Amino acid sequence: MVKLGIMSFAHMHAYSYAACVNAMPDVELTAVWGYNLRRAKQAAQQFNARFVKDVNEFLALDLDGVIICAENTRHHALVELAASAGKWILCEKPLAPESSEAKRIVKICERERVGLGTAFPCRFAPSLMAARDQLQAGDFGDIYAVTATNHGQFPGGWFAVPEWSGGGAVMDHTVHVADLLRWMLGREFTSVYCEGGNQLHQGEIDVDDLGSLHLEMEGGIQVQHLASWSRCRSFPTWGDVTLEFIGSKGVLNVDAFNQKLTVYSDAARKAEWAPFGDNPDFGLVREFVTSIQEARDPSPNGIDGLRATEITVAAEKSMRTHRVVKL
Amino acid sequence: MNVAIIGCSGMGRVHADALTKAGLRVALCVDTVRANAEALAKAYGAKVAASAAKAMTAKDIDAVLIATPTPFHLEYILKAAKAGKHIFCEKPFCRTEAECKEAIAAAKKAGVKLFVGHVVRYFHEFEAMKAQVESGKIGKPGFVKISRGGIFPGGPKSWFANYKMSGGVTLDCMIHDLDWVRYVFGEPVRIYGKALMRSGKEPMDYSQVTMRLKSGLIATIIGTWAHPAGFRVQAEICGDGGMVQYDSADAPMSSMKRETGSGPSMIVPASPVSESPYQREWEDFAAWVRDDRAPRVTPEDGMIAVRMAEAALESSATGKPVRL
Repeated sequence: MVKLGIMSFAHMHAYSYAACVNAMPDVELTAVWGYNLRRAKQAAQQFNARFVKDVNEFLALDLDGVIICAENTRHHALVELAASAGKWILCEKPLAPESSEAKRIVKICERERVGLGTAFPCRFAPSLMAARDQLQAGDFGDIYAVTATNHGQFPGGWFAVPEWSGGGAVMDHTVHVADLLRWMLGREFTSVYCEGGNQLHQGEIDVDDLGSLHLEMEGGIQVQHLASWSRCRSFPTWGDVTLEFIGSKGVLNVDAFNQKLTVYSDAARKAEWAPFGDNPDFGLVREFVTSIQEARDPSPNGIDGLRATEITVAAEKSMRTHRVVKL
Repeated sequence: MNVAIIGCSGMGRVHADALTKAGLRVALCVDTVRANAEALAKAYGAKVAASAAKAMTAKDIDAVLIATPTPFHLEYILKAAKAGKHIFCEKPFCRTEAECKEAIAAAKKAGVKLFVGHVVRYFHEFEAMKAQVESGKIGKPGFVKISRGGIFPGGPKSWFANYKMSGGVTLDCMIHDLDWVRYVFGEPVRIYGKALMRSGKEPMDYSQVTMRLKSGLIATIIGTWAHPAGFRVQAEICGDGGMVQYDSADAPMSSMKRETGSGPSMIVPASPVSESPYQREWEDFAAWVRDDRAPRVTPEDGMIAVRMAEAALESSATGKPVRL
């Protein structure tokens, strides 16, 4: 039995990870800790885990690994504690809002010889895995250009408070696609230009809610990506992850979460999309468990998290300076 | 009103139908490929001429349609203006902003009307989107994305594959959306772009452009001549109170022909309207000529659209954003 703990339910993904853990017969959600005691206690109850008030007491438990779902600017401190206690770590994305913090997180885990994974569940979405296989098999020849989106609804709460989130939609919704493209095309990004800002929530929040990024990858692949919280409240779903690959042998389009029913409910007063198919979080948590059993880094690892952070930091710099930033 | 058509292939044919429906008459067809001119003339009961000079000297010609490859637009505009003919010029207006300026000056001097066919301003779906924005239903708009394109036009030997002539998908196709965004949302201040522009046996162009407007709005426009087949337009406008989306693949008709053999078939969507946008731009042009009613597109609009496309291409070449 692999024993896991969750540190903080500040990020809503924690609820999905907890449900995934509970669905695995060989894994146990042993304990929950959080800065917000009430929220952590409730979550512990909801998922039949032990609630522990004190973080040192929590880390003294016989846990094989922890999943960190605190606010972005708290990742670094929690990784330090968990790594020092010898726990395997799966950290919510972005690994950290600043490159220096992300680097320190990677270093700490190397030093303490614990595995470190970054929570990029898109790598476990079947459509994106199939797309990667086809791209790597050369079905679309050489890839010349990519157009991507990761739109979402405004998540609210600490996501728009810079001291907790460390950034806005450009950070929140660039990391997934940046990681996916590195993984699918096996190349690194070399530069980024970003036009962005608070386009749709003026007077409401103090961070950017949209960025249009123009990036280049090794080999000169031209990439355009939209990171946003532009989906309004009446939109039928949370958002999207889409990718269009222009290759010498054809075009590949992925709309990763376009497995849905359209539901019209008078009670909801809007049309809604009900998803079906696999939950990518399950694959992410399963990989974390396997990495513990095999005493290795989970994939995607800390370096993957660091690279994604470096790209968002460069995009934010470009957004301020209106210049292309080299990576 | 009698119209001479200069350039009788692709767009010339579309315009012949549209201007006839708008109540004008195809009187003369000119093309360097005589068979093209003859075919079109036959269909519309028009005369044929080997050179454009005939269109300029013929007394019964009131207006000239220029539907040649882009680099020849200026030459014919200058000739037609000199001959006192009104001018309907297919977009892009000219190959460069400087040429556009020269064309505008010549038309002004000659006192002839000069119209640039930015037909997307007349498309029903784009009119409907503009109306939604203006109704305030989506709140204050802050972001627009438009994608347009499909297969590379005209095959590898066509003039479109000569990017010096055509300017690729950015100047020839995306210019529609550059113009429309400016028409609805105002002046651009900064443009960044990247265009693929692959030549050779299988030419391919794919252009990604982002602009910041004076109003603060961000517009991202994708133009493709890199798809193996088809043509599709998608648009979305996001405001602080909602959003509006359009997709040409969502159409009242779609068809798929049974192909012999095992080759791929393509679903072709169709969205018929009783009055085509091309007919509507001819009606606008005719009303300008006849009644001096200001048209929806001015030659200055056409020139600024060319300037925007040039800025996107300059950005692509230098790797830096271009200020306007």
